[in-house]
Amino acid sequence: MRRNRYLPFWAGLMLAALGACPSQGQEQVPLISGAAGLLFSKDAGQAALQPILTPVLVVPIGSRFLVEASAELQGYVARATPGGPFLQQEFTTIEYLQLDYVANSYLTIVAGRFLTPFNIYNERLGPIWIHNLQDGPLIYPIGTRTTGSSDGVMLRGVAVSRPEWLLNYTAFFSVLSNVSNLEAGRAFGTRVGLFIPKARLEVGSSYQRFLQDQHTDSYGVYLSWLPTARVEVKAEYAHSPQGYGYWIEGAYRFSESGLLGRELKNIQPIIRGQQFFRLAPGVGDQLPQADTQRVDFGLNYYFPHEIRLNGSYGRHLSSSGNSNNWTLDLTYRFLFPMPFWPKGAK
Amino acid sequence: MRVLSSKFIALVLLLLSLPVALRISARPQQVNAAPQNAPHKVDEAEEGEKRFRSNCGRCHHPPESLSPREARTVLRQMRVRAMLSAEDERLILKYLAP
Repeated sequence: MRRNRYLPFWAGLMLAALGACPSQGQEQVPLISGAAGLLFSKDAGQAALQPILTPVLVVPIGSRFLVEASAELQGYVARATPGGPFLQQEFTTIEYLQLDYVANSYLTIVAGRFLTPFNIYNERLGPIWIHNLQDGPLIYPIGTRTTGSSDGVMLRGVAVSRPEWLLNYTAFFSVLSNVSNLEAGRAFGTRVGLFIPKARLEVGSSYQRFLQDQHTDSYGVYLSWLPTARVEVKAEYAHSPQGYGYWIEGAYRFSESGLLGRELKNIQPIIRGQQFFRLAPGVGDQLPQADTQRVDFGLNYYFPHEIRLNGSYGRHLSSSGNSNNWTLDLTYRFLFPMPFWPKGAK
Repeated sequence: MRVLSSKFIALVLLLLSLPVALRISARPQQVNAAPQNAPHKVDEAEEGEKRFRSNCGRCHHPPESLSPREARTVLRQMRVRAMLSAEDERLILKYLAP
């Protein structure tokens, strides 16, 4: 029986693919994309190896519908006790399985399971080939409870579009789900972002009301900025009744010109600082149990063919114990059309 | 249960193969081939590159290569995820798959 648990999931996707047809004069093809990675970490002396595969299926249907699905298949190999044997575990999660209806530039209606749109990390920086540091931010659990995904309906789009600025929005409602691999909390939330294209700057705010057990409010603000073509700055602040905190990350891509340009152009140093302050004890909220500060230094090296090597060192400072955190990971981003799909127009 | 699941998979694969077979037999559609003068095309690709860097470039680097039809699907998805306008989608397509 366990063997067939995912059959409805894949069958649904395949049936969606059946309906995929090119819009007038603009042929599109269903895509399989995603990333594969091998992650090694040594966290407070505890070594772990995590192979990860995150396939994404995108199926356009006509000119307005789109089916998107992503799963994460993850292994975890670590010693159960210091000096003990290595044990292996596997996890499978469905990150999203959603039907999008693009009504116009102002409105897209999303139904199904989708990534919870709170601040920017979960929705935009979550994929392993995008985020610069293997470990997520300390405040990541705020606003993304319970699993980072929601089951329900979401509206999103650009509310106002001017040449100098754009105002984007999302609003969602999620139901409680205890279905295996489709778990979600009952909640609603909104996010509003102001994007200034000329400055390559986006600032925004998020709000979420969690409607299970004790009804609680979480809110946050974020920034995503490219001050120059080679410098990236991202930051988030989030607040919940259990605690609040922030992270800020900077990354620099070297120029291709100059004496060592050819050697340096594929290197990207990264630095991230973050703090978390505990306000109230929380059981199972996945937040640090005490006030915590952390700084991470990382280095990306971009190989050809979408392969990236990343290494980082982090220092974790907390009243419950300080620790060093080392990571090394190799990720491969892939994208190819659905096999056996007719080529059609180029 | 194993027999059932095999039948189910076979049925799904059969259903999946139908539109593929139908499409192979059908004449492929042509991409919009409206005549465009070269400088205009270059301008649009440059504007598309700018829009890629200001919108998409805040999260990731451009893919190494995409065919036009792959690029269209990617941009359809990004239109939803990154909340691109229809104009952004059109111009970035010119940049990714000129």
